[in-house]
Amino acid sequence: MVRQDRESALSVWMGDAEGAAPLNNLLRGLDRLLAAEADPAAAEAARRRVHQALDAEAPGPIYYDSLSTSPVGPLYVAVSDRGVLALDFTGSEAEFVGRLAPRLRASLRRSADKAGEALEQLQAYLAGRRTAFDLPLDLRMTREFQRQVLMAALKIPRGSVATYGQIASRIGRPRAARAVGQALGHNPLPIIIPCHRVLASDGSLGGYSGRDGVRTKARLLELEGVRYDWHW
Amino acid sequence: MDSAPDFGGLIDLHSSELLAYLTRLLDERQAAEDCLQDVYLRAYRAYSRLPAEANRRAWLYRIATNVARTAWGRRGREAARAAPLDDEARDPAATVEDGLERSEQLVRLRAAVDALPHKQRAALILRRYQGLAYEAIGPILGCSPEAARANAYQALKRLRSLMAAAPAEDGGESW
Repeated sequence: MVRQDRESALSVWMGDAEGAAPLNNLLRGLDRLLAAEADPAAAEAARRRVHQALDAEAPGPIYYDSLSTSPVGPLYVAVSDRGVLALDFTGSEAEFVGRLAPRLRASLRRSADKAGEALEQLQAYLAGRRTAFDLPLDLRMTREFQRQVLMAALKIPRGSVATYGQIASRIGRPRAARAVGQALGHNPLPIIIPCHRVLASDGSLGGYSGRDGVRTKARLLELEGVRYDWHW
Repeated sequence: MDSAPDFGGLIDLHSSELLAYLTRLLDERQAAEDCLQDVYLRAYRAYSRLPAEANRRAWLYRIATNVARTAWGRRGREAARAAPLDDEARDPAATVEDGLERSEQLVRLRAAVDALPHKQRAALILRRYQGLAYEAIGPILGCSPEAARANAYQALKRLRSLMAAAPAEDGGESW
């Protein structure tokens, strides 16, 4: 009977049964520890901080534009207010936008104005009139490891090459050459981040995911004065 | 282009109750607030994959439960590494009933709550203090509503035995 009373008191306390039941020390103690709601001012401050954190995370508007003719074919570039975000020359405009929009959870707007600086620099680079890029980068689509790899690739000067293994060593992961290859294969900013300057350790070209694969890689190296006889 | 634009509304609607939930779970306001940010960042990243018909509130609670469990594990490891600093790491002034000094009994009870399996602690808090139905709690904890209910009551049972195992020295009422 005592046990039954206690169980029904627990049910009432838990909200599983109607009625009134005396609180024992345990239930009273739990309520003292746990019943307090968040202080409204603290909750409001926390709410605002969450919004701020998300504003930093969330994309503002994303703009894109294209070069319809370039030595590597039609080329698309997307920029945010933080920097250049994506470059692609593997497919069509629809594919580019269709691939990026869901990843960025944003709609992309065409703007020759916003993407103009990046495209101008790319055009000059591909025409041999510019040797390096001076663009802020928005690497939100990369994760930590890939970011390290891309930053290491960014340091390879024009006219030089490195191997996947050397990049792996440079970021302190000497056994991760294969993962380095994968990270470079998903470079969101090819050409600007020069993954084409990274070769396989046997000196072969390795891979390239741009249009025409390693032929394009060789063409970019050639443009930079690295002579490379490719085989396919 | 997807349903993302109304995500901000989920913050305004639920951040207060989630903060209370995390504070109850973790017993530390700063840790709860850090977790709250983490919850919304994770939710934001996954939001475009959430089915349109999903219960967003329960989904946020589920993420919060998982984030708190991770934070709990991290805290445990840190405490183990820095045992002498443990008291400082957990500022008693920043706990749930801010400003009120806890009686020895309440400190013991909180330690007992902390000693519960995560699922039991979460089930109890979700039912009694967040006021959720077992039908909602089940999916949050990754179990059936019946199992959620069982976990909530097991929590009480376990607390009673934990408190009884070390009876009050002052000869106060039994637990």
